[in-house]
Amino acid sequence: MRIRTALLAATCAMVLAQPLAAKELLTIDLVNEPTTLDPHMQWNPDSYYVYRNIFDNIVTRDNDGKIVPQVAESWEQISDTELALTIREGIKFHDGSDLTAEDVAFSVKRIIDPEFASPQLGQFNKITDARVEGDNKVVLVTDGPYPALLAQLVKLSVVPKAIVEEVGKDGFNANPIGSGPYKFGEQQRGVSVTLVRNDDYWGEKGEFEEAVFRAVPDAATRVANLKAGTSDLVVSLDSDLALQLENDPQVQLLTALTERVGFMGINTTREPLDDPELRKALAMAIDREGIVEGILGGGEKVVSQMATSAHFGYVEGIEPIPYDPEQAKQIVEAAGDAAKTKMEFATAPVFDQRIVQAIQQMLNDVGFNVEISMSDMATYLKTVQQPEQGSRPYLSFGRWSCACQDVDGVLFPLLHSGSNWSRVSNETIDEALETGRSSLDEQERLDAYKTVHQLVHDETLILPLYQAAALYGGAAELEWEPTANESLFLNRMSWKEQE
Amino acid sequence: MAVFLAKRAGQALVAIFGVMTLVFFIQRLTGDPTYLLVPETATQADIEAMRQSLGLDRPLLVQYLSFLADIVRFDLGRSFIQNIPVTEIIASRLPYTLQLAGGALFVAFMIGLPIGLILALARKYKSSNILMGVVLAAQSLPTFWSGILMIMVFGVWLGWLPPSGSGSFAHLIMPSIALGLLSMATYARIARSSILDELSKDYVRSARARGVPQGRLVRRHLLRNSIIPVISITALEISQLLAGAVIVETVFAWPGLGLLTVQSVVARDFVVVQGVVLLGAFVTIAVNFIADILYSVVDPRIRLDGAGQ
Amino acid sequence: MTTLINRIRPIFLSSGSGVPTGFFIGIVALMVIVAVFAPWIAPYDPNAQNLLGRLKAPGTEARNVLYVLGSDELGRDLLSRLIYGARISLSVAFLSVILSGCVGILLGMLAGYRRGWVETVIMRLVDIFLSVPAILLAIITVAVLGPGFINVILVLALTRWPRYARVAYGQTLSVAGQPYVRLARAMGASWGRILLLHILPNIIAPLSVVATLEFGLMVLFEAGLSFLGLGVQPPTASWGAMLSVGRNYVSNAWWIATFPGLCLFMLVLSVNLIGDRLSEYLNPKSR
Repeated sequence: MRIRTALLAATCAMVLAQPLAAKELLTIDLVNEPTTLDPHMQWNPDSYYVYRNIFDNIVTRDNDGKIVPQVAESWEQISDTELALTIREGIKFHDGSDLTAEDVAFSVKRIIDPEFASPQLGQFNKITDARVEGDNKVVLVTDGPYPALLAQLVKLSVVPKAIVEEVGKDGFNANPIGSGPYKFGEQQRGVSVTLVRNDDYWGEKGEFEEAVFRAVPDAATRVANLKAGTSDLVVSLDSDLALQLENDPQVQLLTALTERVGFMGINTTREPLDDPELRKALAMAIDREGIVEGILGGGEKVVSQMATSAHFGYVEGIEPIPYDPEQAKQIVEAAGDAAKTKMEFATAPVFDQRIVQAIQQMLNDVGFNVEISMSDMATYLKTVQQPEQGSRPYLSFGRWSCACQDVDGVLFPLLHSGSNWSRVSNETIDEALETGRSSLDEQERLDAYKTVHQLVHDETLILPLYQAAALYGGAAELEWEPTANESLFLNRMSWKEQE
Repeated sequence: MAVFLAKRAGQALVAIFGVMTLVFFIQRLTGDPTYLLVPETATQADIEAMRQSLGLDRPLLVQYLSFLADIVRFDLGRSFIQNIPVTEIIASRLPYTLQLAGGALFVAFMIGLPIGLILALARKYKSSNILMGVVLAAQSLPTFWSGILMIMVFGVWLGWLPPSGSGSFAHLIMPSIALGLLSMATYARIARSSILDELSKDYVRSARARGVPQGRLVRRHLLRNSIIPVISITALEISQLLAGAVIVETVFAWPGLGLLTVQSVVARDFVVVQGVVLLGAFVTIAVNFIADILYSVVDPRIRLDGAGQ
Repeated sequence: MTTLINRIRPIFLSSGSGVPTGFFIGIVALMVIVAVFAPWIAPYDPNAQNLLGRLKAPGTEARNVLYVLGSDELGRDLLSRLIYGARISLSVAFLSVILSGCVGILLGMLAGYRRGWVETVIMRLVDIFLSVPAILLAIITVAVLGPGFINVILVLALTRWPRYARVAYGQTLSVAGQPYVRLARAMGASWGRILLLHILPNIIAPLSVVATLEFGLMVLFEAGLSFLGLGVQPPTASWGAMLSVGRNYVSNAWWIATFPGLCLFMLVLSVNLIGDRLSEYLNPKSR
């Protein structure tokens, strides 16, 4: 099959004047095309899969999840509100110019500038200033102590000040120039983006000469592409699609546990869910192990707190609520008619519908009256965050990720009384969350978060379900270890050694 | 006649205006793209700031007037999400839609018309009707199903064709067939009924009586005279095709306007949706206009201005 | 009554390729019967899940449940879901045809008979509805009214009524000038009476062909809406939704898509053939 495809590809190559042999070109199927390649202008995975390779970030995470230097060679917390970064020497942008402290400061200021209106502003707005000091130092000033700063800097890309100022936002969008292991080649709107290897990269160079990212919206088609050999890596598969890759020696399934937590949101302001006993019954009715073992197949793990071992702020000692449908039934019966209120369970098509249906069935089996209400993502987000808490759906399914691997990004938005996601208003929790956000002492933070996790567990304010895994399909010869933060680093991929 | 044309042109403009207004307000009723653009961790303040930068916090009427002002200057606006002008986005996807529509029409013609011809001429042989059954069967499967079947068979199993995407003639084959299947039966039926209509006319009988061979009859007279209904049906089929292409484009990752519409509607990229709808409205209304004219040409009993009632 | 039977019988017995139309009518009738008597025919609850019995091949047994046609991705019995699915697929198609047909035919007749500004307004409305992309209408309806069975019917009706209107309009234009209509008007009949008693019976023939073909299309569209995530709400079973989910299991659990697909196919094919035979029958030149 691969030989025939290679022959076909070679023929097409002659027709299309594509000079590369199959090995030099890596083809990746994404769900949608990148909306923009300017790293500060959007927030969606399809874009960042691509631009992660064009730009270097201030720091990055290695394959084990530890924060390691990238553009910043080292850093030092010089005061409660100041972090000094030492910028690495010898990094060049794709046009040959040097990456200096000026560029770093410019990039930070660009992303926090309210005029620029970056969608990512909210993640960096605790930074108030970026000062250049000396030849190669940049000092970041934050509004109060901010322990999660370094985790957020993993996502901040460095752009060339001179070029951006010269060509402007639109020009840079059309032709992004960074310092990363791959250069921007060309983009065919709606079809694909091509990246070309940067042979002058300061760090680990990529193995492929070219990489093409294509947009293939339908998951079944992505699998077909992989099996036919027209793509080498496809993203976003679910466990049942992954089954189609079994028994095919030309493809392999690659999985990684991520920092996404699948959870069920509970509107504690609406009757009958204001009753903690009934909420506990919700938790007891759901067989989380059964879902993970029976439906999911990527190595997902059940979690009993809104965090995973990949997060800072994950604490030991929170016991999972046991699966006990019998007792749940008793509680529901004791609650009488109130428990039979029709409760809508909000979800959107992008979530795994098997899990949503399984949960609905389990809840109805113990006596609840739950109906699934699926609407598209925009409507779902609007409904779930609407200001009128009493109108929000009773239950909702979600998969939370802050892309920061720090529970501040998870718990604060979900539980702080001032947040638009939260349906909880609890002083103890608010205090603990604020301590966690502003204390630079690790132990103090962990203690604060333990309080929160324990309260969430005891009162069943939210029901954490499982730690999600990302499933990718790859060609059998592809050698790659996917990471928890779901980045497709091309220079960490290679072809297996042929015997 | 000129008065009639002017009146209808005016009405067409009003209709287009009506569609644009309808779509404008309806979209904004269903929420906005802000929630989709910001990360989950965004606070209410972040969301408001984003909304402001996109101009979505202005009163609806103000947004509408600004939209009208732009349209008059032929400015379709910039996509919220891709940050490039809408005209650029549409222009880059239009060729694909034209290719797919062309390919599908080709398939439908090449199979549907000959079958219709055979069914009309060979009507005496009952078994010829199996052809109609075949063509109808083709129209009886949802395109997303026939699509994935074709992909599995020709793309994966046999490896003859690329499973998805665009870029070469080979890529166009399967999507065209998937889409063309839907219209085949319509063309077959129209061809059959229109040729039957012709066959019952006097000139055919007299030609046969004079001994004109069947072949010449078909070629010289029948085909030419039966072509009008086929043309008017094509007009309708085109707008049908553009809508039906949505699923084919999704399954085959064919980057046409149908897929663009779905993605933009889901992403609440109002400006792009408006641009595509404007284009579609223009085409549909123009096509209907022409069809109405043909109607009155074909059937003189219908007076276009309603006189005689 | 006898004239009615005499008019219908030839249709039943007309055999195109040797397969009488009655055969296909029978298939549709069978599906209707299955749909109506679903609770008595289905062996199990269509929504009963068994997470350990997922994706079982047809004929296997698990936990005292015999999966005659196999089990789906949540361990539910496919046969039972197929039977209940008939209800949804058939009723969605039927109700949307009725709704769009009534609205469309009425408006079309009004436009064709009354002419003047009534005609202008209605036909421009037709243009407007034909230009709004169906997907847009679908998402908006779902967003404004919430998802569900009723709203699928509404969406389908909203997008299809213009087609009936156009045909009714054209047909009414042709018929309105006929002598018996003019006579009725001269005798002082109100336009309502004329529309209903004189015009409608004479245009119903081509319209019923349209309706029959639309039925098949509605079944397919419902499947398409499910594919796009806008159809009936899970866990409700409809053939279209099952087919859409089944696409992801072609290599390892082919039964999930094949059986609903076959049912859909037979339904739409039968309806299309009936419609086609009907149009042939009504066209005197083909006999």
